[in-house]
Amino acid sequence: MQATEEAVGVPTQAGMRKGAIGATVTRLALGFTTLFTWFDNISKDFYDGANFPGFFNDYLFVSAEDGGNGSQLFFVQDILNATILQAPEFFGWVLTFFELGIAIGLIFGVFTRAASLAAIGFFVNLFLVYVGGEEWIWTYVLLSAAAIAIFFDWGGRLLGVDQFIAKARGESPFGLIW
Amino acid sequence: MIEPIVRRVNGWFPDNLSPTWPIALARMLLGLLWLGTLRWKLPPDFDGGSQRGLREWLDLEVEHAAFSFYGIFIESIVIPNFTLFAWVVFISELLVGLGLLFGIATRAAALFGLLLSLNLLVGLLEVPGEWPWSYILMAMWHGTILVSSAGTLWTLPNLLKTISGRSTSRTTIEENDYASN
Repeated sequence: MQATEEAVGVPTQAGMRKGAIGATVTRLALGFTTLFTWFDNISKDFYDGANFPGFFNDYLFVSAEDGGNGSQLFFVQDILNATILQAPEFFGWVLTFFELGIAIGLIFGVFTRAASLAAIGFFVNLFLVYVGGEEWIWTYVLLSAAAIAIFFDWGGRLLGVDQFIAKARGESPFGLIW
Repeated sequence: MIEPIVRRVNGWFPDNLSPTWPIALARMLLGLLWLGTLRWKLPPDFDGGSQRGLREWLDLEVEHAAFSFYGIFIESIVIPNFTLFAWVVFISELLVGLGLLFGIATRAAALFGLLLSLNLLVGLLEVPGEWPWSYILMAMWHGTILVSSAGTLWTLPNLLKTISGRSTSRTTIEENDYASN
């Protein structure tokens, strides 16, 4: 019913809710932030299996006096040691495509629900990884808040590909893809 | 799976306010951000204690100015009148922080917050160790709050209105009980 109403151009209350302009601005800003950071990381070979572990071993949990960030959540370090650092080459590739996927999804508003959900996971994890250290933690609060707003406000439904997908195919399963 | 939870959360608020809550949440977080950053520019000396204080940040803006006119402005106008400008910055950030946190004069607070964020972006763009996207995100959030109705939800005036409404209705009920007895 709702998809039909939107298809003939009559915005429903829910349709208007999904098309909030604020969510669109937020989506584009977060998308370009992620894309430019990805380019920067690529140019520094950050995702390379040989460089990737250095970020965790030589920076994150190293004290500020020794030139590191001095992150404080050591259970996060244990999780990183047991997962990413066991296969840095593999996770370097995963992260390369994961971040690029988030950026493209957000910029074009395509599969925005999935992209923003992935972004929530990614930025909340970054928050946990950096918390307690020298890095300005509010950056990760702002990034997480942006991802949350895009997900809950259906950020792809205005100036995004998702609005056309939804008209053509209806809602995605569980509303988790577009 | 998650969708029913999302619908339920949205259902807690009236339809016309539903899209506002994530932005209202961000508004409050930004308020806390501004209030939190005051701790390294506290009067009377605006010193950061163990952290970099306001004066040291200004020196960095001069040393690593991305735009020469901005560096010259800081060096020749702001630093010689440091106490005056420090008070202006402190009071501005305090008012913006309180406005956003409590939803008081939200649009004005968002506009001033936007200008402060752009100032930080211009000033700190080339300072080593700074991530300019932090300030772009701050500007983006203030812009979003400016164009949305983020000041209509979770605000101190609304809370006070609700409390006074409850006490008024309670008084009316008590008066009615008294009259009927």
